[in-house]
Amino acid sequence: MAMNLRESLKEFWRLNVSKVGLIFLSMLILASIYVVASYPLDFGVRYWNNPSYWADYPKSAPPAWVNLISSEKAPEHYVLTYTKPSNITLTGTERKLSYIFEIDFQADRPPSFISFTILDITYHERPSTVKLSVLRPDMKNIEVYSFIVSGPYLGEEPPYRRYYDQPKRISITGDMLTATALSRFLYREYNVTLRPSEVNSIGQHKILFSIPVRDREFKVLKGQYIFTIDVYTYNPNDEVGEVTLVIGGEVYGVMGTDSLGRDLFIGLLFGFPVALFIGIVTSTITTLLGAGLGIVGGYLGGRVDEVIQRIADFINNIPLLPFLIFLAFILGQNIWILVFLLVVFGWPTLTIIVRSMVLQLKSGQFIEAAISIGAPRWWIMFKHIFPQVAPFIFAQLIFFTPTFILLEAALSFLGLGDPTLPTWGQILEYGFRSGGIYVGLWWWIIPPGILIIWTAITFVLIALGMEPVVNPRLRKIK
Amino acid sequence: MALLEIVGLKLFYKSLRGIVRAVDNISFQLDYGEALGIVGESGCGKTSLANAIMKTLPSNIDKYEGKILIEGVNIVELTEEEVRRKIRWKMISMVFQGAMNVLNPVIRVGLQIAEPLIIHAGMNKDEAYSIAREKMKLVGLHEELFNRYPHELSGGMKQRIVIAMALVMNPKIIILDEPTSALDVSIQAQIMNLLKRLKKELNLSMIFITHDIALASDISDRIAVMYAGQIVEIGLAEQILLSPKHPYTQKLLKATPRLRGEEKPDFIPGTPPDLVNPPSGCRFHPRCPYVMEICREREPLDFELERNWRTKCWLYGGEHG
Amino acid sequence: MGLARTLIFRATTLALVLILVVFFMVIILGATGTSDKILQAMVNEEVMMLRQALAKTIKDPEELNRVLAIRKQELMEFYGLTKPWYIRLPDMAWRVITLDLGKARTLKTFAGGNKVSEIIMERLPNTIILVTSATAISALVGLIVGVRIATRVGGLLDRISSYFSAVSYAIPTWWIGIILILVFSFFLRLFPFGGLYSTPPPTDPFLRFLDMLWHAVLPVTTLVIALVGVWIYTTRTIVLNTAQEDFVNAARAKGFPEELIRRRYIIRVAAPPIITNVILGLATSISGAILTETVFSWPGIGRLFYDAVLVMDEVVVIALTYIFTLVYVVARFILEVLYVILDPRVRY
Repeated sequence: MAMNLRESLKEFWRLNVSKVGLIFLSMLILASIYVVASYPLDFGVRYWNNPSYWADYPKSAPPAWVNLISSEKAPEHYVLTYTKPSNITLTGTERKLSYIFEIDFQADRPPSFISFTILDITYHERPSTVKLSVLRPDMKNIEVYSFIVSGPYLGEEPPYRRYYDQPKRISITGDMLTATALSRFLYREYNVTLRPSEVNSIGQHKILFSIPVRDREFKVLKGQYIFTIDVYTYNPNDEVGEVTLVIGGEVYGVMGTDSLGRDLFIGLLFGFPVALFIGIVTSTITTLLGAGLGIVGGYLGGRVDEVIQRIADFINNIPLLPFLIFLAFILGQNIWILVFLLVVFGWPTLTIIVRSMVLQLKSGQFIEAAISIGAPRWWIMFKHIFPQVAPFIFAQLIFFTPTFILLEAALSFLGLGDPTLPTWGQILEYGFRSGGIYVGLWWWIIPPGILIIWTAITFVLIALGMEPVVNPRLRKIK
Repeated sequence: MALLEIVGLKLFYKSLRGIVRAVDNISFQLDYGEALGIVGESGCGKTSLANAIMKTLPSNIDKYEGKILIEGVNIVELTEEEVRRKIRWKMISMVFQGAMNVLNPVIRVGLQIAEPLIIHAGMNKDEAYSIAREKMKLVGLHEELFNRYPHELSGGMKQRIVIAMALVMNPKIIILDEPTSALDVSIQAQIMNLLKRLKKELNLSMIFITHDIALASDISDRIAVMYAGQIVEIGLAEQILLSPKHPYTQKLLKATPRLRGEEKPDFIPGTPPDLVNPPSGCRFHPRCPYVMEICREREPLDFELERNWRTKCWLYGGEHG
Repeated sequence: MGLARTLIFRATTLALVLILVVFFMVIILGATGTSDKILQAMVNEEVMMLRQALAKTIKDPEELNRVLAIRKQELMEFYGLTKPWYIRLPDMAWRVITLDLGKARTLKTFAGGNKVSEIIMERLPNTIILVTSATAISALVGLIVGVRIATRVGGLLDRISSYFSAVSYAIPTWWIGIILILVFSFFLRLFPFGGLYSTPPPTDPFLRFLDMLWHAVLPVTTLVIALVGVWIYTTRTIVLNTAQEDFVNAARAKGFPEELIRRRYIIRVAAPPIITNVILGLATSISGAILTETVFSWPGIGRLFYDAVLVMDEVVVIALTYIFTLVYVVARFILEVLYVILDPRVRY
């Protein structure tokens, strides 16, 4: 007994599960709309899979709010950028542009790395010189690093522009010049002897932010740090674009970072529209194909039905995941191939069920009536049979969606996902492969799973809400 | 002493809509070797009556009271365990409606006939099997069917198996609940003949429940007409058939098509009564052509027309009889 | 008899499926050029080894190259690379079916050999241990709980089970495995991170066995979580439906004790459809095995599949796809035999 649309909606709305399901669904859709509007289409290739983009992010960092609940304060992540110098000092033809960064460091542990970046520097005569020095809370000053911008090339004409499509990034961490400077600093100020190579292995960033307590032990020095980046220019028309200082933290952002430093919040957000897309598109195609074949086979019978049945049977006899793995491996890791494969393996189950429904309907009297009027076969199938099975098919569509989302996640987890389109499964894949579980990177491992479950449950709830609409026996008698 | 005496039997159970008064104050007697036909429309409570007598009660019981005296023993008061061990299948057994599905599909039929003997009488397999084969012969089945599965038998054969099963412990009473409604007319005739033969040979008492009054008349000595959970008329078969007194009985008979004669079958207007909210007073009053004021207000008493012929109708008693 | 005919028919159908699957695989491999790629790589590798061997004896570089060129041509003809792929089809298919699976490109057996069939046979028992224990536990729990709640519809256990079944449909169980490792191995340090034995494994056989059990706890738990939801739900539905059948009421009317009714009239009759559901859940067990073994580094054929994909060892991937299909088909057949034995109605 089919109900009209209004009755169906009312029946659906009666249950709590439906309401919760719809609320969840709207949240998922909102998140997806936000992502589609604000992320570039090639996000995967250009940003997510591009390690250099994440160079200045802390690696394997828990979310920043962890500091609120832990006893030891982990260092935060500072990214400070200036487009204009804090002050300019003139000495003859030399113009010193000073960029002054003040950091109040109160963490219980030193930063994880230090780097700075110069974007777009132009000189006309003499190449500029760049120096970085630090004034520590113990009022000791160190010149940490200096370099000269590269000179003119053969045949190059002024103005000489550098570092505008590739910013110049200097990492203090791992730099031997800085190590040497620090080694001398330690000997001079604290009478501690450490070779530059030893400074390098302990970490320049660590030593810069600490006081030695014994020969090789350091305690964090809290307080105000003033980093000054001086750019010496020799022509009034010389220009500097942006100067950025990065004091690497151990915590970052809302959801932390992975081992490449990628902001997981950004990555996870991107997963929303992808998951919805995969789930709904695959489900829709599979349902239409499966139901279509079921109706055609069931109604037309004969050879057509036989062929469809045999193919469906054959596919059902193949173990799903091993074959998906095999085909994805051979045919390539592409989202459309994946959708195609999922559809190929998904339609038989639905076809078999719809076919038996159609067989039952076929013997109904209204079909006999239609035939005797002379209606063509496709008319009968479309106008008479389809509306009867439509509610069931629609419910199946909803019910299939989480299956496909989970299958895609499983395939991604095994490394067969589409690398240009980051998904939650892929984030988990990388977390697993890089050993994240074994070192307890819970912020990397737990959220993607929760999001997968949340999305899947949304559709399960809606499907549960639709059951009474589809299955009249379950409706409550008023 | 009568073999079976039922006094004021009530069986109500709970449902989503309210309390269903399936068996509402029923009384009758059954003698040795006697067949009583219980006739009524579907939904009048016939099967519930059978369950009440066998004490196979559903879990949503609201009320079960009255007296069911089998050779003087009131089984209503016995515990489930006692009924199971001493009464069920030994004293009184049942031939079910729809032999299609009352046999266990994965067990051979011969074993199913023998089961009660093994379980209740503690017989060993061989003894039980040989008695089972005897019973199969008794109901006219070939011994070689012993090892068949139910799905390998025809409807008529299955019904005979069910009858053999009911007789296996030589009970005194068998209740037959629509034993032929799922069968073709020709098979129906065969089964009825078998039952008549068994009744005579074994001096069996039967309670024959059906909606088909013609069928009941074939085998019953007495007939009770049931409506809305009550017996509205009970008497000898000829009495009921030839001169029915209760308006419902009359209508029931008129609704049967006759082979000869030009009378067209009548139908009973209205719908069967709701057992949750039965009509006030006499339950048949909304459909009764002779309805009077008092019928709407007060439930009629059992008025005796002759010895062993009663009817529950104000036309025959009170100030109006 | 009816039994034998049914089974033979089923066996032939399944064998046919297997052969068709192999042909299908081989066609895909040929048409996408993968088989060409693999064989070419094998030829090149042999030529390279030959070059190293001959360089010691043949000093003249031109002569060396000439000899190698001849040998290469011979090899290419031997492997059939000179002909189009569809000519090679039947031979390849035959070899796969008869389990002549060749040598792995990069993966190795535990001892260092590279025969694919050895690599697989070493690991197959581990998968069987994992899957059968998980299935047995799920089945047991499923049956007990399913029967229990079927007789007590609407009770607390019933509702908990329904929620659990609904929710477990939405949970990726391999993720549960990861969480279990995070909680029980990393944070609580109660169980190992993975693998079959500790390194080094204990020498005493009994201790070795216990070590394996200890390693098996988390993977088996994960697989059970994957399977048990469905088991409980389908058992409950089937038992519930069976318990409402007429013959069950009839058995009660016959005065049979409740225990007998449960055994012979409910469970025994419900067994065939329950087995059907096991068959349907078989594919889930296989994919569950692959994912769980991967998460826990359990050295079975599931984990092998993951490793082969990771290092792009096509030979092993192809072999394993076939093996999985074979295992699936055989398991189905065994279960169908069981079904036919239990349900007389399906025999011809």
